[in-house]
Amino acid sequence: MFDRLFELLFKYRPLVFDQGDFVFASPWSYLLLIAVLGAGAAATLTTYAQARGKSTPLDRGVLAALRIAALAVVVFCLFRPVLVLSSIVPQQNFLGVLIDDSRSMEIADRDDEPRRAFVDASFGTEESVLRSALAERFALRFFRFSSATERLTDLGELGYAGSRTDLGQALDRARDELTGVPLSGLVVISDGADNSESVLTESLRGLGADGVPVYTVGLGREAFDRDIQLSRVETPRSVLQGTSMVVDVVIGQVGYAGDSITLQIEDEGRIVSTEAVTLPANGEPATARVRFTATEPGPRIFRFSVPPQPDEMVTQNNVRDVLVVVEDRREKILYFEGEPRFEVKFIRRAVADDENLQVVVLQRTADNKYLRLDVDDADDLLGGFPKTREELFQYRGLILGSVEANYFTPDQLRMIADFVNQRGGGFLMLGGRSAFAEGGYAGTPIADILPVVMGEPTLVDGKPMFTELMVSPTRAGETHAAMQVADTEEESGERWKNLPAVSSLNPISEIKPGATTLLTGTGAGGSDERIVLAFQRYGAGKTLALPIQDSWMWQMHADIEPDDLTHELFWRRLLRWLVDGVPDQVVASVRRDRVEPNEPVELLTEVVDGAYLEMNNSRVNAEVTSPSGGFTEVELDWTTERDGEHEGLFTPREEGLYEIRVEATSEDELIGSDMAYVFAAASDDEFFDSAMRAPLLRRIADETGGQSYTVDTVASLPEDIAYTGAGVTVVEELELWDMPALLFLLLALVGGEWGYRRVRGLA
Amino acid sequence: MARSTGIRRRNAPGDCGTLPTYPSSWWSLPLRPFIRHRVALAVGILATGLWLGEALLQGQRVDVDVRIAQPAGAQPVRTRADATLQHPVGPWEFYFTRAIYSGNGRGRRWGSRWATDYPKADLQFISILQRVTRLGVYESENAIRLDDPNLRRFPFLYALEVGSMAMSEKEVAGLRSYLDAGGFLLVDDFWGTWEWQNFEMEIRRVLPEYPIVDVPVDHPVFHTVYEINEVLQVPAVNNAVYGGRTWERDGYVPETRAIFDEDGRMMVMINWNTDLGDAWEWADNPYYPLKFSTYAFQMGVNYIVYAMTH
Repeated sequence: MFDRLFELLFKYRPLVFDQGDFVFASPWSYLLLIAVLGAGAAATLTTYAQARGKSTPLDRGVLAALRIAALAVVVFCLFRPVLVLSSIVPQQNFLGVLIDDSRSMEIADRDDEPRRAFVDASFGTEESVLRSALAERFALRFFRFSSATERLTDLGELGYAGSRTDLGQALDRARDELTGVPLSGLVVISDGADNSESVLTESLRGLGADGVPVYTVGLGREAFDRDIQLSRVETPRSVLQGTSMVVDVVIGQVGYAGDSITLQIEDEGRIVSTEAVTLPANGEPATARVRFTATEPGPRIFRFSVPPQPDEMVTQNNVRDVLVVVEDRREKILYFEGEPRFEVKFIRRAVADDENLQVVVLQRTADNKYLRLDVDDADDLLGGFPKTREELFQYRGLILGSVEANYFTPDQLRMIADFVNQRGGGFLMLGGRSAFAEGGYAGTPIADILPVVMGEPTLVDGKPMFTELMVSPTRAGETHAAMQVADTEEESGERWKNLPAVSSLNPISEIKPGATTLLTGTGAGGSDERIVLAFQRYGAGKTLALPIQDSWMWQMHADIEPDDLTHELFWRRLLRWLVDGVPDQVVASVRRDRVEPNEPVELLTEVVDGAYLEMNNSRVNAEVTSPSGGFTEVELDWTTERDGEHEGLFTPREEGLYEIRVEATSEDELIGSDMAYVFAAASDDEFFDSAMRAPLLRRIADETGGQSYTVDTVASLPEDIAYTGAGVTVVEELELWDMPALLFLLLALVGGEWGYRRVRGLA
Repeated sequence: MARSTGIRRRNAPGDCGTLPTYPSSWWSLPLRPFIRHRVALAVGILATGLWLGEALLQGQRVDVDVRIAQPAGAQPVRTRADATLQHPVGPWEFYFTRAIYSGNGRGRRWGSRWATDYPKADLQFISILQRVTRLGVYESENAIRLDDPNLRRFPFLYALEVGSMAMSEKEVAGLRSYLDAGGFLLVDDFWGTWEWQNFEMEIRRVLPEYPIVDVPVDHPVFHTVYEINEVLQVPAVNNAVYGGRTWERDGYVPETRAIFDEDGRMMVMINWNTDLGDAWEWADNPYYPLKFSTYAFQMGVNYIVYAMTH
């Protein structure tokens, strides 16, 4: 509206004024014109000064001013004001037109027409208005883009089936294709719903440096009226079989405030959980916490879905599929206990039926006398606690019971810290008379890795201070997956309230910055809050502190039914969490575990030796098995950017699940192997966050010197590019003397003088 | 507690193994030793007659004298419900806990004999435990009734002279709950067929579905700390000191038997025809053979460490 009014008054649109330089192009001398203006002004003043009659000096002043102003406008026009600017030479320049070919172009959010309708109407034929207007000035080159970018010779090739929008890659590809030709700019026709992982900044910087402006045409609406989408589902990439997962699901919504919806989770067709969710105020997302158990081993597709709601504009974003690898293997945990304690019996009993946990017990019974339980080999741990990194690092978790710090050599203490920091293992210290500060750990490398602050040992009459504690979860603990001791969060909270007291000899009440407290305990008086369970990430692993000595009371206390499973659940979930995500020597992963067929897959593998030092000289091969059983070998090379990291590429051609087995060898000796999975299929990713993203499109235009348009404003695009585009240009002068605004001004001044005389009754 | 967690419920009836089991009916017991030893048979018949007479006169069962049951070192323990006089609670990891149970008849000899060797045997064994292991052990004796709700605070329990055991229903329920929850019962010092039969009858009331099986000497329980390769018959002090026979009644051969749950966890360890407790009690007697006291201590340590780790 403003642009139109401006153009009406000033003959040209503001953009032209922005681009041009204002100059006077009069063939006469400026001095002559100024002299004419001066003479005219002097004559006017003289005339009015000599005028007599009933006019007052004020009247004469006003009239003289109006006359001189009118004279000035005329003289201004005689100066011949012009705008000097560059404009492209018609048909001497190329223009790249990039058309979004992704599935989101099918969304009908504007007058019940899909977004692609604009492309059909504006570019469908050579006679289409916009296309012909551009073709008059430029040689057009069309591209289509989604996850990949291709040249288009016929716009009929557009299928709108791409499952991803990658704007950065599209701009780079078009720029590369048009290198070496006079390029006026690139026109991007898209909803801007970029869902790639690429960073736009580099692409825009390159275009800016090359002086290639980008003109964006945004399709669709910036906000939907009524829509629900599963904005985020956070699951681990892999879990142990039988693990009870607690997953946060963020549900975005607009137009359904206060409604109750049902969130459903399926494990390949079998419903494993449902959760009723009441939606908050309009536009605010809801977070639902759902729990389910991964019972079937192997790569599993878990489907999270909300049924389509009445009048919902986009229903494809109500479903998300997530690939989770359910591992069926035994995780080895070393539990070193410095004195016979019932914790050993009851922890072993709690996890006895868990086929995915192997708790190897090293029980010191007397000085230099050990009982070894559940070892793999008769020679394992024969000499007590491991003395080499290779021996210790074969375990994925380490539990230290009541064993004094000076049992260990300084190297063993450092080794335990390295077990967490470097190897990425899970470390848990239990309470006891020889644990924490009471065990002399203050100032040791283990004190550094623990999540709690240890002071001086607290002794009463030379003995550790005994305290009974009622345990309760913190807010973080209430929602933590490992702290769930019942089927629902509410039941779990109730269960914690009713558990009997446990005892502690290690008064700890402070955690380190960055650590999280999950359980606290209070003494008989209700005061004196102590830390019962805290954890923190440390280096590549995590550490837990559980400074109580008899969690078995949750099994043996008289208030607990003999067949109660609280103690079992607590320890199973705690130990599964302890070893969750602990890496092996060879760790294979893919950059994205869900791709389109024919989209290259980046395969990454990290390789370390037995002491978990990165290896760059190993031979890493991947065997890729396609859904139909086809077999491909891929060699992975060291990336040189990070020690131990190897990279390779393969391209899935079929739809379905690809299995990748990566094996690393060094001098013909196997270091290790790992599995990774990729699901190749068209996805509905395009329908998530699929409203038109105007800020992104504006940013692209602004950072490259282009302009952004909507369907309503795109008509001026051809002319705008003519003045703002790069390429072969010619200097053009645009006359301004005949601007309607000047005529209006002149008429206003002359009319004003006349009107003033009439009002004042002057001659 | 909901059962949807996928964890198998314990204590479901089931087969526990292929080791030989023992008949619950005394009619099928071997009687040859009685026939071979007529004197012993006569004494047995006489004793049975006396017992029957006394039982008829005094009643079928006499509950244990609570005043005797009051353990030394008892302290108030704080619970959430209320505060009652209970057993010691403190920083110790292990309490050598003796079971107080009801028995037939009255008096120490024919009535409840839970307190045999008490507390000296316990204290001497505790001092050995402190010396040879790293166990944080409570220094005093600790005895508790089977129907005491706090029984489960002590996952190791020692019972002896169970040949005259006659538990009340409350005691049966208490012991069952204790064993189901994860407690371990060590049984000692009872001799001969008749006492076996009585004990078997009583333990069947507690654990009717689980068989009693032999524990061979290569079982881990004999090798947790000390290597025990032969099960000895530890005699009562009088027999040991005077160098006479080691057996009593018709208990000629020492036996080690056990009851396992369906997961293979040992719940009850039975020492029959042997008396570890006397060896602990009289280890300070210079005339008591070192061989027996050493063996008894080693067995005791093995049992405790096994119970704390399995």
